[in-house]
Amino acid sequence: MRGRRAVLLAALLALAGCAERPPGDGPVTLVFKHARILGPADPFPGLLAEFAAAHPGVRVTSESLPWSSDEQHQFYVINLEGRSPGFDVMMLDVIWVPEFARAGWLLDLTDRVRPEELAPHFASTVAAATWAGRVWALPWNMNVGLLYYRADLLAKYGLRPPETWEELEAAVRTIRAGERDPRLEGYLWQGKQYEGMVVNVLEALWANGTRLLGADGAVFPEPARAVEALAHLRGLLATGVSPRWVTAADEELSRRAFGDGRAVFLRNWPYVLDLVEAPGSAVRGRVGLAPLPGRVRGAGAGSTGGSHLGISRGTRHPDLALALVRFLTGERAQRAMATGAALYPTRTALYRDPALVARNRWLPRIHDLMLAGRPRPVTPSYLLLSTTLQPELSAVLVGLKPPARAIADARRRLDYFLASRR
Amino acid sequence: MSRGGRLRDALVLAALAAYAVPFVWQLLTSLKPEAELLRVPPLLPARLTLDHYRVVLEQSLIPRALLNSLGVAGLTTLSALLLGLPAAYALARLPVPGRSALLLGIVASTAFPQIATVSPLYLMMRALGLRDTWTALVLAHTSFALPLVIWLLAGFVREIPPALEESAAVDGASRGQALRFILLPLLAPGVASAGLLAFLFSWNEFLFAYTFTATGASRTVPVALALFPGVFEVPWGDIAAASMLASLPPVLIVVGLQRYLVRGLLAGAVKD
Amino acid sequence: MTRRERADRRRGLLLMAPTLATLAVLTVYPGAWVLWLSLQYRVPAFGVDRFAGASHYAFLAGDPRFWSAARTTALFTVASVGLELVLGVAVALALVGQRRGRRLAFSLLLLAWAMPAVVTARLFEWLYHPAAGLLNVLLGGLDLNWLGDPALALPAVVLADVWRTLPFVAVLAYARLLGIPTELYEAAQVDGAGRLATFTRVTLPLLRGVLLIAVLFRTLDALRAFDLMFVLTGGGPAGTTETLTVYAYRGLFQMLQLGFGSAVGVVVFALVMLVAWAYLRLLRAGEAAA
Repeated sequence: MRGRRAVLLAALLALAGCAERPPGDGPVTLVFKHARILGPADPFPGLLAEFAAAHPGVRVTSESLPWSSDEQHQFYVINLEGRSPGFDVMMLDVIWVPEFARAGWLLDLTDRVRPEELAPHFASTVAAATWAGRVWALPWNMNVGLLYYRADLLAKYGLRPPETWEELEAAVRTIRAGERDPRLEGYLWQGKQYEGMVVNVLEALWANGTRLLGADGAVFPEPARAVEALAHLRGLLATGVSPRWVTAADEELSRRAFGDGRAVFLRNWPYVLDLVEAPGSAVRGRVGLAPLPGRVRGAGAGSTGGSHLGISRGTRHPDLALALVRFLTGERAQRAMATGAALYPTRTALYRDPALVARNRWLPRIHDLMLAGRPRPVTPSYLLLSTTLQPELSAVLVGLKPPARAIADARRRLDYFLASRR
Repeated sequence: MSRGGRLRDALVLAALAAYAVPFVWQLLTSLKPEAELLRVPPLLPARLTLDHYRVVLEQSLIPRALLNSLGVAGLTTLSALLLGLPAAYALARLPVPGRSALLLGIVASTAFPQIATVSPLYLMMRALGLRDTWTALVLAHTSFALPLVIWLLAGFVREIPPALEESAAVDGASRGQALRFILLPLLAPGVASAGLLAFLFSWNEFLFAYTFTATGASRTVPVALALFPGVFEVPWGDIAAASMLASLPPVLIVVGLQRYLVRGLLAGAVKD
Repeated sequence: MTRRERADRRRGLLLMAPTLATLAVLTVYPGAWVLWLSLQYRVPAFGVDRFAGASHYAFLAGDPRFWSAARTTALFTVASVGLELVLGVAVALALVGQRRGRRLAFSLLLLAWAMPAVVTARLFEWLYHPAAGLLNVLLGGLDLNWLGDPALALPAVVLADVWRTLPFVAVLAYARLLGIPTELYEAAQVDGAGRLATFTRVTLPLLRGVLLIAVLFRTLDALRAFDLMFVLTGGGPAGTTETLTVYAYRGLFQMLQLGFGSAVGVVVFALVMLVAWAYLRLLRAGEAAA
């Protein structure tokens, strides 16, 4: 009896000792929270095993986030607000970084990360990881909005990729009149009520030479131009250049229809390339890509996106967590992810990497488009902006509200909420 | 029985079977191979598979969430009954001062919208460090299950003639004994009914669970189902399997304990 | 008051005490706190915490999204409670004559009522799927986008809700029907009343009481509805399925405006209490008249 009690005591002491020992000394578990990665070959298990091999005594558990970006955000908010969460490293949509930084949920990396570590990444993605002059995350993968077109159909009618809204609409009319195929749609994009639609609207605003947040923080600084941009999107639906179901379309729904050969144009992210070029794809070898058209030539720009890796301020192993972040955002890992998961690198050099270019001949082109891409407003209130705008914009797209009224309503709401947050 | 009557019975059953189609369709979906999910018609799959259940049970949060739901709903039921039984007895049998006001208050709190208390409760749980624990959910759920349980049980107690307890008292039994040996056994079916409703309420509850839970430590089944992960593609088959698992206890209750469930349902509404 | 009575009173209070304490802490106190919160600018994540007076309420009074949510809530409530009532009574009438398989019938019926609303949402999301949804297939290969079309989304949500809560009305009405003595029907037959006349003159008046209760319960539930639309549509498309509760929740936990969201929650609270109060008055007036 006495012996057993002694063993128990020793075990308890050992446990207590474990908790007090400095991090990195005993077996350590890092929890990594990220969205599920899809792709031809998930590179994740391999990468994490590699990291564990290089750091004996460290185990990395990866946990999946919910499905949509909006739900992921909600998950983080509920997890991080006012407590230390159960994870160390987290995947962040670029738009969340300022918000999480202001809320104090992220470890400030400014003094731990040297400027030359950031230099190899696209400047815009580094800008998105920076808020109030401090660095809060490292860029992990990158996205940009593009125009996909059916190169075969354009060639058949002697058309060039459209550079303006007008050219795009004209091309749709010509091709649909010539093909006489009722199942062939014109221009597909994302108009469902969610963050993806806000991105499409932002791109329309930029294409019309205006933006959502002015330099002084004013919402819709040039309402007249914003009204025009919205009227243009609504017009696409009203005139049949885009099918009505675009108002319920997300990335996948629109990608599928285009991938089945049922549309001439598609606005989407680079991940679509892998799928349309895959063996068995109905449009394999018949797709081209171009910058998004503008109201006038050269005005169009795709929104940048992607994700960063940040470290929870509540982590007990900041150094190990940073090592994991460095490893996953490093060249090796980004190459593996570009190969296995169709996630595009944030490191510019990889776009000229011969092995990668041999796999994906579009890389240099995408590099240029990423370089020309524009970030969504970098503000701690981005989610507030987006969720406030979503129903208003959606109401315009389906024709329930005139653009001018939607913009007036949205401005009134946002002015009120933004003022109450200062 | 006449042939017409039999036919009529069969028709009603057929209509109700048609009514259950959404559920059956989901059951079928949960057993369909991935490749056949988006191909309808045909309505029936070429073969059945347990793959989706395997994925859900081995790779998702659902098993853990089922355990959490079971724990939270069980503890909620227990605490609502333990608190509610004495209160219901007092309200039904004893001259509690302000009885009718109390009853009104209790009925009113069953009508309380959760959305009105979720923000203060959130701040409360946050201050107490209870977020993402069973305790937070059990407390929040009890606050809604308790009035319901009291309301039901008070009605059931009133159905039992006080004369029974009184005659026991005449026979020399103490009040406590009378309660234990006379009232409680008679009340048992009512307790079962009230308990079942409390359990179902807690099992199904979403708003509080969504707000107070964060990880596998406390996330309940409805929340895990609402947030079922996927990227771009929605894993319909896995979601269907998870839905089936989430409705398992309610289904068992409906099939196995139907009598008590219906009794509770009726008592809640018809007593006045 | 006799000694025994006094002892009983004391005992009664003692037995009530744990319940009263629990409800005071978990219901009454939050109920008061939410009123206070609704008068504040409160963004916990950003450390914002200051008095706002009635400005949230003033803003809501001129907020189109609030009024649209109020309208959606009203439409949803009226449509779904109305349909549930009619269909529930129909089901009850069908069940009353049932001789065989009554248990099976009840199982099929109660299934929908007993499962989580989130499951209902997932079932219907799949039924409404534009490409692979059973509903479109059964409608003869229609190409309807139930949850994406602003004209169809609210009806689609109502349909799911009716499916889910119809059993409640049906079981209530059924129990009442069983209690109607057959002599009443026989008497009606002797009077030469047809089926319809029997229904409107005998059955319906007897069902009145229980149906009024069912309507009250269901109305209060529908006014608070959240799970179904939150999971099924998230309030979209174009905000056409956003009820007051969903709006309040978005304010609270998506935009993190705890003060503002609380103000919307208080409005829902007031609405529910108002309806309950009006209803009870109506019921009393009806009883007095009868």
